[in-house]
Amino acid sequence: LIAHYQSLPQAASFTQAASFTPVNYREAFGLFDRVGDNKVAYNQVADIMRALGQNPTNKEVNRLLGMPSADDMTAKRVEFEGFLPMLQTIINSPNKAGYDDYVEGLRVFDKEGNGTVMGAELRIVLSTLGEKMSADEIDALMAGQEDENGCVNYETFVKHIMSV
Amino acid sequence: MSKPTGGGVNDVTHFLASGGAPGSPTSNPMFSGASQADWAAKRLVWVPSDKHGFESASIREERGDEVEVELTDSQRKVTLSREEVQRMNPPHFSKVEDMADLTCLNEASVLHNLRERYYSGLIYTYSGLFCVVVNPYKNLPIYTESIVEMYRGKKRHEMPPHIYAISEAAYRSMLQDREDQAILCTGESGAGKTENTKKVIQYLAHVASSHKGGTLGRNKEAIQGELEKQLLQANPILEAFGNAKTVKNDNSSRFGKFIRINFDVAGYIVGANIETYLLEKSRATRQAKDERTFHIFYQMLCGTSDETKADLLLGTADEYRFLSGGSIPVAGQSDSENFTQTMDSMVIMGFTPEESISMLKVISAVLQFGNISFMKEKNHDQASMPDNTAAQKLCHLLGINVLEFTRAILNPRIKVGREYVQKAQTKEQADFAVEALAKATYERLFRWLVHRINRALDRRQRQGASFIGILDIAGFEIFQLNSFEQLCINYTNEKLQQLFNHTMFILEQEEYQREGIEWNFIDFGLDLQPCIDLIERPAHPPGVLALLDEECWFPRATDRSFVEKLSAEQGSHPKFFKPKQPRGEADFSIIHYAGKVDYKAHNWLVKNMDPLNDNVASLVHQSSDHFVSELWKEVDRIVGLDQVSSGENSGPVNFGASGLKTKKGMFRTVGQLYKESLTKLMATLRNTNPNFLRCIIPNHEKRAGKLSPNLVLDQLRCNGVLEGIRICRQGFPNRIPFQEFRQRYEILTPNAIPRTFMDGKQASELMIRALELDHNLFRVGQSKVFFRAGVLAHLEEERDLKITDTIIRFQSASRGYLARKSFIKKQQQLSALRVMQRNCSAYLKLRNWQWWRLFTKVKPLLQVTRQDEEIQVRESELQKAKDNLTQVEQDYTDLDKKHAQLIEEKSVLADQLQAEAELFAEAEEMRARLASRKQELEEVIGELESRLEEEDERAVKLFPAACYDWNKNLHFI
Repeated sequence: LIAHYQSLPQAASFTQAASFTPVNYREAFGLFDRVGDNKVAYNQVADIMRALGQNPTNKEVNRLLGMPSADDMTAKRVEFEGFLPMLQTIINSPNKAGYDDYVEGLRVFDKEGNGTVMGAELRIVLSTLGEKMSADEIDALMAGQEDENGCVNYETFVKHIMSV
Repeated sequence: MSKPTGGGVNDVTHFLASGGAPGSPTSNPMFSGASQADWAAKRLVWVPSDKHGFESASIREERGDEVEVELTDSQRKVTLSREEVQRMNPPHFSKVEDMADLTCLNEASVLHNLRERYYSGLIYTYSGLFCVVVNPYKNLPIYTESIVEMYRGKKRHEMPPHIYAISEAAYRSMLQDREDQAILCTGESGAGKTENTKKVIQYLAHVASSHKGGTLGRNKEAIQGELEKQLLQANPILEAFGNAKTVKNDNSSRFGKFIRINFDVAGYIVGANIETYLLEKSRATRQAKDERTFHIFYQMLCGTSDETKADLLLGTADEYRFLSGGSIPVAGQSDSENFTQTMDSMVIMGFTPEESISMLKVISAVLQFGNISFMKEKNHDQASMPDNTAAQKLCHLLGINVLEFTRAILNPRIKVGREYVQKAQTKEQADFAVEALAKATYERLFRWLVHRINRALDRRQRQGASFIGILDIAGFEIFQLNSFEQLCINYTNEKLQQLFNHTMFILEQEEYQREGIEWNFIDFGLDLQPCIDLIERPAHPPGVLALLDEECWFPRATDRSFVEKLSAEQGSHPKFFKPKQPRGEADFSIIHYAGKVDYKAHNWLVKNMDPLNDNVASLVHQSSDHFVSELWKEVDRIVGLDQVSSGENSGPVNFGASGLKTKKGMFRTVGQLYKESLTKLMATLRNTNPNFLRCIIPNHEKRAGKLSPNLVLDQLRCNGVLEGIRICRQGFPNRIPFQEFRQRYEILTPNAIPRTFMDGKQASELMIRALELDHNLFRVGQSKVFFRAGVLAHLEEERDLKITDTIIRFQSASRGYLARKSFIKKQQQLSALRVMQRNCSAYLKLRNWQWWRLFTKVKPLLQVTRQDEEIQVRESELQKAKDNLTQVEQDYTDLDKKHAQLIEEKSVLADQLQAEAELFAEAEEMRARLASRKQELEEVIGELESRLEEEDERAVKLFPAACYDWNKNLHFI
């Protein structure tokens, strides 16, 4: 009777994504299949790779998918066998930028030179520059990062982003 | 002075700054990501455009010296040569307050920046040493006293560009460095020179008089207030007499002026002095279509009372030949109201009523000159005056004899050789003489006015320590054909530009020295010397002015002979140009720094001599009217009739019949006088610290919010802004303080600077090394890095790409973070699902297991036994509570009884107390009675004692000896 309840803490320790094997990849991949055909939509591919510990840019993923149109992104689907080589490409040429690069990049917006940037400014930067992010994404990203003056300590922020 | 009523300070600040920290080149408060990305991606440039001056385009392809661009607006593709394409500045520099900060310094960017600012209502912009202002053609709320207060005590870079910032800088630097200051306003007519000059005076009058502290007496304060009031009133008076409506400008100053405001050591205004230059006196006698003569004429005709009109013999505007267009109203202005204001100003200035009326008389006389008409006699050339009504009026106004006047005009005495002869004048000569007299009269009146104002503003009792001079003078004039007046004004501007170039050279050199940078800056002031020599050189070879003077003294000289002589002497001068076809419109051209100017020498000799009928002049000099004779007190210096005589040529005046060489040197030509006053002015200016204001007229329609690109470009070329930029480009125009350099560009050189503390210079040097810049592109000074033009644009571009790249990387990492977060959630949901699944399947197995079924049956029963136990517990609790209750009730009744007992005791005691009190009262009464009894008895004793004494005395008298014993005995008793 009691043994059934004990299985819960085991499930919690399962979260570390550090050592994935193809079997686990397949398992993770399966999690994104909402239809049940053992495939995922094109627009899920990048997120699966990210879930599996990679940080590809949208552009890199799009190139691997053969530059699909916006319609293709939702309509087209790929099976695990097609996905695995793409993942392999990304793993072989990872995003080399690290903590220092991000901090240096954000330091540019540090007008006062006191280690913080305005949250509002950070929002504008992330939503207008580069691969623009949506307001929802930014909200989720910055939840709890702004102090009472609306400033973000960007070193802490980068650490926070890189913690998972 | 129009002082628009503005709202609060906050409402108007957007007219001053476009936002962000004042003075910083980054006027965009937020990093405008989108436009920045656009600029880097599209490689935007400026290409020439007929309509807009320049328009934006993006580079498509570069082929050798040719560039293919796509126009942003029309998407048309055009191929241009590389020189025609000018690089666009990064958006970071949009609406920059100082155009010297622009990294791409070119005409297109300067024009674009001015235009963008102008459309945003930002009319002032710095360009290095210059402050450029574009006439807004509307009232902006930026001249209120609160704005004056905002600029007070601030440094130039702390506040947005403004004429007040220039004034403040001049004032501060005068107080701190004890150096005289000059503010030089130049620009085309209608560009706003005079308005800005007034703003300078307004600012100084405000700032320099509000020093008045408690230490100063009331009296002194009043005097100071008066002086400043008078200073502010000087302009309206000068404007009434020296300004006129032209096609370009409703209130155009027709003279140049230099206003000198003197300050004492403490910075108080102690006096002022005005010098004027080149009054356009010909306006008093004729005006172009739709233009007016000086305001005062119309003001007088509209504003005087009927009585005064009669005194001044005034008619209506249409009755005067010298008012070419009759009465022309100026939109939004009332001549009669303005007349009242002018008169009020004159009262404040301390003019006596007699002075005012005398001035009006002279003005009326100037008008009357025009109404004198001559006829040509039938038989010979001689002029006659059949109707002398106008002459009579004129002579009445001037206080001279009409017959003498008529003779002086028609048959003046002229010195021929050693004798005087009467010489009849032709109609042309008489007409010319009358016009010249009118002009001279008005000019003398104007000079008297300036002199009178100076007398009022001169406060000699206190020594002036230093001064601020404000020069308000026309800028370069380049018309299709230009005359002597243009030569004078262009000559002035050439000199002023030289002063500017030189100042800039000195300042640049100082900056380079201060920063310890080796750089041989070229003195571009020397560039202008050849052109100045061409005009002013007295000899070897003589310049234009000297040759003109010489020609004026030469017998039978004409304008043509002057041009020939000039070509002969200066033909090979690099700045002189003689058109190939002598029949062409222009006689010669001078290459001024602002461009090639074509001059036509028509009438130059006359203009330079400015001859006058000296017979009339001496007549007026002896006028019965004191004021008039005062005006004409200097008559010996004028070029009289004997210097000019009739010739065969068609013009009214020709030179040279008689031997004039002996007279040379006695008279001063216009050119000489002008050169002299200019030399004096330049000497003054050279000893000051100059500040330059360049006024720009945005369009010729007097319209707000419109900027004609080509018109503005022409002015930028003429007023030296582009020249200044050209000079800037020779050196290292972009300078960034180390701190800012590091903050902005450190991203380009990751790992170049160690994380430990490092001073700015060292860090910047390391960064520059890491950037691998060519040494010729930069210099490192003591506090700043100096860059060649365009280098910063390149760095900006790299920075952009780098930032975008880093941001994309960071966004990927952020998206990774978000994806993993949601994946973890998904996994947690999954494992929760699995737990539920396991439980379900366990139950399915369990529910048919007998023991389980038994358990489910027994479980409710277990609950029943437990209930009994609980009831028992509750009951014992209840019993305990009941016991408690009875106990408490018992205690209560006990206490109640005790209480009643005590109350009883209390009433007994109260009765006792009552009885005691009665006894006490009785005793008290007894005591009182006994006391009064005692009193009575004491009185009886006293009575008895006195009787005893009496008896004693009597006894002593009767038996003295016995008395002694008795007395002794008594004592014993």
